[in-house]
Amino acid sequence: MRTASSYIMPIAVAAFYLFLYIPIFVLIVFSFNDNAFTYSWLGFTTEWYSDLFASTEVWHALKNSLLIAISSVALSLTLGSVLVFFGSRAAVKRLLLLFYGSLAMPEIVLAVGLLSLFSFFAVPLGAITLIVGHTLLGLGYVVPIVHARFIELDVSLIEASYDLGATKRQTFFSVVLPLLAPALVAAGLLVFIISLDDFIISFFCAGASVQTLPLYIFAVIRTGASPMINALSTLMLLVSSFLVLLFSFLHIHKSRMPK
Amino acid sequence: MKIKEKIKNFIAENGSFIFSAPAVLWQVLFLYVPFFLVLYSSFKRVADSSLHDLTFEHYATLLNSAYFYIIARSALIALGVTILSLLCAYPVAYFLALKVNRRWKNVLLFLLTLPFWTNFLIQIYSWVFVLDYNGLINMALLKIGIISEPLHMVNSTYALFLVMLYYYLPFMIMPLYSILEKIQHDVLEASMDLGATHWQTFRRITIPLSMSGIKTGVFLVFVPAFGEFAIPAIIGGSKYMYVGSLVSHYFLVARDNQLGSAFTMVSGLVLITCALLFNWLCAVPAQVAQKEVE
Repeated sequence: MRTASSYIMPIAVAAFYLFLYIPIFVLIVFSFNDNAFTYSWLGFTTEWYSDLFASTEVWHALKNSLLIAISSVALSLTLGSVLVFFGSRAAVKRLLLLFYGSLAMPEIVLAVGLLSLFSFFAVPLGAITLIVGHTLLGLGYVVPIVHARFIELDVSLIEASYDLGATKRQTFFSVVLPLLAPALVAAGLLVFIISLDDFIISFFCAGASVQTLPLYIFAVIRTGASPMINALSTLMLLVSSFLVLLFSFLHIHKSRMPK
Repeated sequence: MKIKEKIKNFIAENGSFIFSAPAVLWQVLFLYVPFFLVLYSSFKRVADSSLHDLTFEHYATLLNSAYFYIIARSALIALGVTILSLLCAYPVAYFLALKVNRRWKNVLLFLLTLPFWTNFLIQIYSWVFVLDYNGLINMALLKIGIISEPLHMVNSTYALFLVMLYYYLPFMIMPLYSILEKIQHDVLEASMDLGATHWQTFRRITIPLSMSGIKTGVFLVFVPAFGEFAIPAIIGGSKYMYVGSLVSHYFLVARDNQLGSAFTMVSGLVLITCALLFNWLCAVPAQVAQKEVE
């Protein structure tokens, strides 16, 4: 039997989703508004999208962001998976706590620490220092995720590989890495998004020489935004929804695999 | 040839150490060494003072009510956001985990994670459109005729609070959802069969079972909210200082790394104290319940 109270929860949840999507909806609508100065609607235009594609600054920032994100993903996945496989199980379990540090501190503290380190050793700020910072963030996710998957693996598979005469390196590349693939893809995607989205560490450790997409967006918002940012946001929303779909597809795929 | 052999043997013997070292080294060098560097820098008199010229003067400077207010304001806002997001997130997570059928669940989860994966500055910035002097809310209210003058909403503490709540809600929902999803329906049904009311079941069964999710959510929201820097910078204007804005001011604008380091240390200490206090608070109800049983 349905009473009035059984409708309260769905309504509350619907209100929550409305709250979640109103700003995004407004943003998308205004990316097509033919009015650069106020919010009143003056007509439909795709002018901001053509501006966006004509702007060299945006694409330069995007290129930097992608370069930094890909490097951080590659570095944190390599370092993380090598640690998980080659480190002794007992040691890795104890070391796991070490990697939670970057999640337990506010990011601004990490940023201040990195900035102090770089200025102490007079390291010039730039893309390299950003990769260092983002890899630090990335390891905090990669190591726990990959480790959780690794300890679930059937040990007999690894033992069988050794028994059949494979070296440790061969076992790593032909047995363990393929088995870890779902976890590596999930962790890699996560680190990629985190790096692409990162603002605070980038703001502290980028210096003047390198501009990433979030830094560019922040600079534009700060100096009085242009509707071009809305167009950019709409496109980024499309890309991230594609990535989320991909991610959930991989997830479903994984959960459907026989245990 | 001999050296090559030696290296090969060395790697074979110490492989576990050699291969696990880089990741650990990375973490130590870029996370834990900087921490001590900041600590050390907070005691230095000036940037290029000698190794032994240490002083407490920066900490003495911080013994000022202005700094106390900044830290207290950040802590209070973070606390408010945490509590309100817990209250809002719990019903949503509960609904997603226990009340909705599988097909809708996937759609709702997708819709939940989408803003979460969207650029975070854009999420904040989109609120400017809603809250601005000529923004959506003012336009709507003027049209309906509730107000005759647009309201000033951007740059207020309310706006800051609202946007922080908006941004951090998914961080609270996700851990709550993943823990609530593991609760077996049988347990709840058993409780009802034994004569407990909905409320009793919720209070005595659901909440205790989801405690670890609540804890994770609270940490995921409170810690970054306390050090939040971008949201006040975009929404809050320059009316009030927060911990994050002051830290970035010292390091990036004023270039006073010593005072900045000292302030970072003090704020960090406050944050750790809050975390310990919260942990202790979580442990109390469990002990009380234990006593009740005995």
